Parts: sequence; structure tokens; C-alpha cells
Amino acid sequence: MIFWEIAKRNIRIHMLRSTLAMLGIVIGVIAIASMGILGNSLVSSVSDSLKSVGDSVIVTPYSGGGGMGPGGGGGGSSSASLKITDQDYQQIKRVVAPNVATPVYTTSDHMKIGVGSDDIVATMYALPTTDVPDIMKLQAGDYNNGNSGCLVGSTFAKDHNLKVGSRISIGTDGSKGTLRVTGIIEERGMSFDISTDNALVVTPEWFENAYNRNKDYDEVVVKVKEGDTATVKTTIEKQLNKHKDAKVVSVTDSKATLASIYSTFGTVTTFVTAIGGISMLVAGVSIFNIMMMSVNERIKEIGIMRSIGTQKREVMSMFIYEAAIIGVIGSVIGGALSVLAGYGISALMLGTTKYLFTIANALSVGEGVSFGIVICLLCGIYPAWQAANLNPIDALRHE
Amino acid sequence: MEQVIQFEDVVKIYPLKAGDVTALNHISFSVERGEFISIMGPSGSGKSTLLSLMGCLDTPTSGSISMSGRAIRNMTDEELTSFRRDKIGFIFQYFNLFPLLNIIENVSFPQMLRGGVDEEKAREVLRAVQLDERLFTHTPLELSGGQQQRVAVARALINDPDILLCDEPTGNLDSKTGASIMELMTELNRKGATIIVVTHDPNVAKYTSRTIRIVDGCIAS
Repeated sequence: MIFWEIAKRNIRIHMLRSTLAMLGIVIGVIAIASMGILGNSLVSSVSDSLKSVGDSVIVTPYSGGGGMGPGGGGGGSSSASLKITDQDYQQIKRVVAPNVATPVYTTSDHMKIGVGSDDIVATMYALPTTDVPDIMKLQAGDYNNGNSGCLVGSTFAKDHNLKVGSRISIGTDGSKGTLRVTGIIEERGMSFDISTDNALVVTPEWFENAYNRNKDYDEVVVKVKEGDTATVKTTIEKQLNKHKDAKVVSVTDSKATLASIYSTFGTVTTFVTAIGGISMLVAGVSIFNIMMMSVNERIKEIGIMRSIGTQKREVMSMFIYEAAIIGVIGSVIGGALSVLAGYGISALMLGTTKYLFTIANALSVGEGVSFGIVICLLCGIYPAWQAANLNPIDALRHE
Repeated sequence: MEQVIQFEDVVKIYPLKAGDVTALNHISFSVERGEFISIMGPSGSGKSTLLSLMGCLDTPTSGSISMSGRAIRNMTDEELTSFRRDKIGFIFQYFNLFPLLNIIENVSFPQMLRGGVDEEKAREVLRAVQLDERLFTHTPLELSGGQQQRVAVARALINDPDILLCDEPTGNLDSKTGASIMELMTELNRKGATIIVVTHDPNVAKYTSRTIRIVDGCIAS
């Protein structure tokens, strides 16, 4: 194909100019694809952190505000007056059956680990021993912690060098008594129900005794195994918030919250990718510029071609090929380099590159490469059209 | 004899802002197959317009033009382009070869436009215009003016056109090389080619069998 050959040779004889135009496309593709990779890796990383969220519905006392309850941000922040009564709990338990509703106490308190150690403040959760295995797994020890036993989160155990059998004094100067670590909870990551990684899990009996509480819970966690979370949420709301002006509970559907988080990340990814897209547009302008230069330099040649019988579409194809060659080479190089850039950015910002080789990232690179090629072709169309539509007589006279 | 070009009452007017310019004013003439004709006239007489119309690069404002038996007035751009490719061979003053292509590729270019390449035919035509075979793979810029014009003649001949249109074919050559090119044209004409040369050089016109003189858009003789 002679026009393909001419396009190739024209790029070769203007190597510097063509390379600079390709460089623009390379940068554009890297900007778009690496931003996409970063966004996807962020979502993968957050999904990993939230993997234990599962299908749960969290019921918290109605505080007049939004859906996130005291358990969401690490617990312990609930006001004394805002509790879920045992009557409400029983109602929840009934309506969500056969799903299990777990009542949870939560607070924060001072504690000391070992003799002579510093006083620290940490979160404590109390939930029925029988429900614990449904919500968390252990990496060491066992669930059966008796009345003065406790489970500790993996990060908490690591930070304070705790092992099964270690002792923790609760309250200022140990006023609430001493607990023995019977098990270490597997890492659960961020969670909407209870975040155990930096917390203690104690028995309700010990908690009620130590903090003088009596079946007035801070939250109720429903693990949804039957039906979907949205239905369970609606059922609870219908049953407990019968009066519009006197709401009793706030109900959070973990799946819906998760979906909204993912959607937010999606928006952020799109936004940063669009910023990357600006560099692609700049590259497109440079392609347009060199294609116009190429047409202007070759007006006479176009005139000769047309006069000896070259059709308009053939002249057009010659310039489109030129733009396509620059676009494809630049975009493919950009795609390859964007994997490296994505690797670097992930390592730098997320501290890990384990989320790099995913289908979503491959799609991001594919999108960047395709966008680069499409931009080049689009920017080549007008100059090619202009070349094809030159008047052959005027073009022949051009000096 | 078969008429390959027939102009009947042809008018070409260029509409310009300052007023219409009549480049050709009711011109009629015909060219028969196998003729060797020169078209002469001073600058601005309408020679180039006549060449554009004979080359199917433009259409007349009024009158009719018939090329190889086909009326060109109502032909589309695509049809005119195909007609130029198949029926007309152009030879220009400045050779106008493609600098990115080598000699064989330059000569084969019109063949490629038709969708087929016969490299042996290209070599044969190049040999017929007496170009040294060692130069076939060179680029045009590596050739002398005379050699380049021989390549241009070969390119014009490759699709076996009905008419060879030459625009000042010796205008950019020294007199000796110019004479050799005109001898080549004479030889081609002897073999049956219909050749029309637009020139203002009487030395070129003397090679031809008939001269059409144009003055102010009209045929003077």
C-alpha cells in the first residue's frame, strides 16, 4: 500500500518532529492510565480493608442526625441518654429472624498493660459470647473467655505486645478490675459494625457489672444471611420508627454504605483521570499542529498526486495513516510506561503494589491507549480533509 | 482519424472580486490520435487554463469538451480523477517526482492507483526512456534534471494513456538535455503517442507537427 509507505517515510524523515508529537501522546496516556490505576488500586485497597463488612445492618439509637452510629468511628462516643432499650432489641430480634441480632455495648476507658506501663485509652465492645464467632475470627487462643477473659484486636495485641494469657487492668488505677487475654482477633480492617483491630472484646456480664449497665445497648448488629440488607433495614425501620416525628433508631445498611463509598471513589477516579485527559488534549493539539505543518509542506506534492489520478480519499488516507502511526506508537509506549508509573505511584501512595495487576487496571491502560489513538486520529482528520480538498490546480502552482 | 480531444465553443471565466476574468473565449479545436501538437502563447494568454481543461483538472464555464469520446462537463471529481489516472499522462516543467519514493516506485505510482503493480513494466518503460538501470533504486534528488524528466516521462507513460500533456517540459533543462527530451517525445510520437506540449519556446514547438497559438483567450492561428 503506497500511501501507508509514504506516511511511514514521511514520519521517518521528520523523526524529531514526529518523536516530539509521540512524546506528547506518551505523556497523555501515562497521565490518564496511571491516574486510573491509582484510582482502581485505591478502591481495591479500600475493598480489602472493608472486606469484613459483609452483609450487616447496624442499628443505633436515633440521634436526629445521619446514619452512622457510635460503632462506626471506633465506638465510645455515644451519649449516655441515647441507648437501645431491651424492649427495642427484642423487637429487632423478632423482626429480623431467622437472622441473628447481636446487642453491643461499647465504651472507651483507661487501661494499663503490665506493671509500670503507661496508661492508655482504648475502645471496648461487649457482645454475647455465642454471637462472637459469627462476627469475628481468631488468629490465636479461643472464644471461650469466661467472665474475666477478653479478646484483643490484632493491631492492639501487636502494638502492646500482648499474647494469650497477658493481663490488662481496666479503668483508672485498675478500678474496673483485671482481664486476661484469651484470644487474639484476626485483622478485620475498617468496619461499620464494630472495629476490633484496636479494641478489646469483653463479655456483656463483665461489662454490665463494671459499668453499671443493664440491657441498654449502644448498637445492635444484624448479620444478614437470609434476604438482603435493604429489606432487613426497611423491616426494622417500619417496626421501630412507626411515628415519623418520634424515631427510635437509625439503621445503616452496610452494603448501601459500601456502594456509596465505591461510587465516591469512582467519581474521584473519574475526576483525576479527567485531569490526566487535559494533558492528552494538549498532545492532541500538538498532533494537529504537526499534521497541519505536514500538509502545508506537501501542498505541491498533493497537487501532483491529484493531477496524476489520486482520489481525494487516498490523499486523506495518507495523512490519517501518519496520525495513526504516531498515535499507535505513542499510545502503546505510553501504555507500557503507565504500568511502570502506576507501580511507582501505588508503591508510593498505597505502600503496596499488590493491586496493580487487576482487570480494572488493564482496562484503565486499555482506555488510556485507546483514548490516545482516538485523539490522534481525530486531530489528523481535519488536516487530512484539508489536504484532500485542495484545488489540484492551485496546489500544483504552490511554491 | 479518431479525435482524442474536442473543444467546442469553450468558455472559461474565473469569477474574481475585482470582476470576472475570461481566460478562454469561445475556443474550438480538436486533436486527433497520434498528433504531436504545441500550444504557444504569451503569459496570461490562457495556455495554463487550456492545459487544466485538457488535463481534466477543471471543467469549462460553457461549451463542451470531449476527451477520448467522453464529455467531461458533467463528470464528478471522482470520475475526472479516474479519467486522469487512466487516460492522461502529465509531464511538468519541474519534473514533480515524489522525493520519498525511489525511481521504480515513482514510475509505478499511477499503476498502484489502479490497484496493481507490474514492476517489470516499470523497468521496461524506464529502459524505453533511456534511463540507466543502475539508477532505478535511487531517489529523484540523486538524479540530474534530464534524468528526472525521463523518469517523469516514464511515469506519464506507465498506464498507457491516450494523451501525453507536457507543460514546458524543457523549461528547467539546459538546451542539450532539453533537446534530448524532445527527441524522446518525437520517438514516442512516432510509436503512436498523442502528445500536446504547452510552451513558449519556439525551439520546442519546431519538434511538433502543428502549433496552436493563443492570444487573449482566443485561438490566433
